[in-house]
Amino acid sequence: MTKWTSKNGMWTRRQTLRGVGALGAGIALSGLAAPALRAQGRPIRFLNCETGKDSLAFFAKAAEEYQAKTGIEVIVDSVPLAETFTKITNGIRSGQPYDVANVGFIGHVLLLAEEGQIVPLNELTDAHEWGNNILFPIDGKVYWYPFDYNLALIYYRNDLYEENGLEIPETWDAFASNCEALVKGRRKGCLFPIGSNSATNWMSFGFMWAEGVKLFDDNWNVLLDNDEMKPKAAAYLDFMARIYPTMPPGALQASYGEMLTNLVAGTVAHGSYAGRVYEVAERDNPDMAANLSVMPYMDSAGKQKAVSHGYDGWVVLNTDNTGPAMEFMRWLTTERLVDFLHTAPVHFQPARLDIYDNDQWRANPLVQKYGDAIETMRGLITDPSVVLTSIDTQGPRPDVRPGTVFESFALPEMLQNKILRGMDSGEAVDVAAAKMRELID
Amino acid sequence: MTRWMLPGFLAVGVIATLVLIVGPAIYAVSLSFYDAPSLTSEPQWVGLAKYAAVLQSAEFWNALWNGIVYAGLSIVLQVVLGIGFALLLNQRFFGRTLLRGVAFLPYLLPTVIAVLTFKWMVDGSLGIVTITMDDLGLPPIYWFETETASMVSVILISVWLWTPFVTTTFLAGLQTVPQQLYEAARVDGAGPIRRFFHVTLPSLRPILTVIILLRSVWMFNKFDVIWLTTQGGPLGATEHLPVLSYRKAFTLYDIGSGAAVATLSFVVLMAVVSLYFLLFPMEKAK
Repeated sequence: MTKWTSKNGMWTRRQTLRGVGALGAGIALSGLAAPALRAQGRPIRFLNCETGKDSLAFFAKAAEEYQAKTGIEVIVDSVPLAETFTKITNGIRSGQPYDVANVGFIGHVLLLAEEGQIVPLNELTDAHEWGNNILFPIDGKVYWYPFDYNLALIYYRNDLYEENGLEIPETWDAFASNCEALVKGRRKGCLFPIGSNSATNWMSFGFMWAEGVKLFDDNWNVLLDNDEMKPKAAAYLDFMARIYPTMPPGALQASYGEMLTNLVAGTVAHGSYAGRVYEVAERDNPDMAANLSVMPYMDSAGKQKAVSHGYDGWVVLNTDNTGPAMEFMRWLTTERLVDFLHTAPVHFQPARLDIYDNDQWRANPLVQKYGDAIETMRGLITDPSVVLTSIDTQGPRPDVRPGTVFESFALPEMLQNKILRGMDSGEAVDVAAAKMRELID
Repeated sequence: MTRWMLPGFLAVGVIATLVLIVGPAIYAVSLSFYDAPSLTSEPQWVGLAKYAAVLQSAEFWNALWNGIVYAGLSIVLQVVLGIGFALLLNQRFFGRTLLRGVAFLPYLLPTVIAVLTFKWMVDGSLGIVTITMDDLGLPPIYWFETETASMVSVILISVWLWTPFVTTTFLAGLQTVPQQLYEAARVDGAGPIRRFFHVTLPSLRPILTVIILLRSVWMFNKFDVIWLTTQGGPLGATEHLPVLSYRKAFTLYDIGSGAAVATLSFVVLMAVVSLYFLLFPMEKAK
């Protein structure tokens, strides 16, 4: 048996050296040594916000495959999109940052980029062609990998259009007339959210973008209430007030769930959403799926079309594991991207244009079945005449200011001031513009 | 018991309180003196600027007023209905035990389930309440569509959820009232109303004091019902201080202002509770 102490009970010099060496090795192995050493073999922490059943199953399988291929474990946490940024920043603050995260709001990407918390992804994005207004580069650097557009489109009941001899509306007046004509019993003309929530921000302002309203000039001055924009924004409010009586009670509380349910159940003749409507209708009410078609938002005069986007993408965080995380992202976006998009095949409208011609992607039964709608959606992201924007992507360049306006619900409140309080449209625009200035100054 | 056990238990309690309550509270208050656009950015010391801004904003005073209205009306209704149900359930009748169990049910439901169920029941297109009213030829109710209706709706949901707690507490109190007091009152010719005001209510006074205090604190800080139903809308009509604090901190990412609102909310509540104890001191044990 080794004798560990000298005769007088003190450590010998050799024993001390051995002990120090063992302690050093222990510290190194336990992960308290240099970050590079710590990072070796560390799992990749992935924050996912696509919480559909199939998407969750995909990430579980992808993590297994990646570990089998590289030996690197991928830990996937999933939270609803609204909680993403808090989760990401909490992770950073607590010293346990995620290496890759799903982000659905460009303002958050910009905040993280400004703070040096995420790294550019040009090495992954430069190789591909992308649709309009989706990469949001900052000084040529692309900080995220967008995987879908989530275009908010107007869904309409083509069976009702045929029965009633209605035409696809090109103007606000025609659209409002169609909504009024299709109110019958419990079925209402349309549903567009008007509450202070992200659903309203996403689904109800397409008409205003089509009319040519812009929120900021090139120097980030608020334009909403200037001589050119105010009449347009006020006209939009008048139009929304006209179609409001054709909506079911509850437009104020309507969010994604209510909109989806009303469209799939057929209780409204028009509504707004992205491609998920087709997927849910296929599952829950296949007869209704065949009756639904999509169109972009139109302006008052029939000259301009617009869609609002609610894009999603991934960021890679600046951690001691960035290298392996980038390698994982390279694998995910080259070898598994189509499999991922197939977890919501119509809803995840590809941001990468080559995907639309990818045989594997096109082979999906739902992509084939809704090929016409998907072609319409594809045209909306490549046609430069179509206004493709959203509140949080307004302005001359990517910036957190429109994101702040988005989160403040200044524009939904403008709708509520008009519709619920009966405020004069011009005054409602003035109130919204004043709030925007207060927020960004 | 060794002589070290009592100080040991006390030490554990004090340490747990410091770590779990005092520490986070001090940290939260300290955040209110900084400006930070996110949890990860470098905070800038701004002193009392956040408090000044918050106190000068109309939304703070609107939220404070909404909190007083929401808490006040909810508590009044909960207490009145709670005493009423307790008196009813204290009578002897067939199926009393079953009814007592049923009456307690809403309190057992998770708030999120109860609120979302209510929202779907009154949904404007597919809600069972809406459809039933339509079948009966009645006009739809716009539960959350106006500022007043939204406040009334969140108060009604809160009353439905938490009246059972008040009922159960008063029921327990009623069972401790000596029957001799009622018999003596009857002999003196007191009717049911006089018996209630001169025997029942005075006997329930200690419980009433505690219930009003507890429910005031809980309702003033109640976040879930309002967030799940209206998120403070429309146009701030149901936004109270907890919602305003959350919105500033976690949707607008103005962490300092969120912390300032939360701190002010704490101060207001402390002032109200102190005043309450001054007006209605707890009875000393005899």
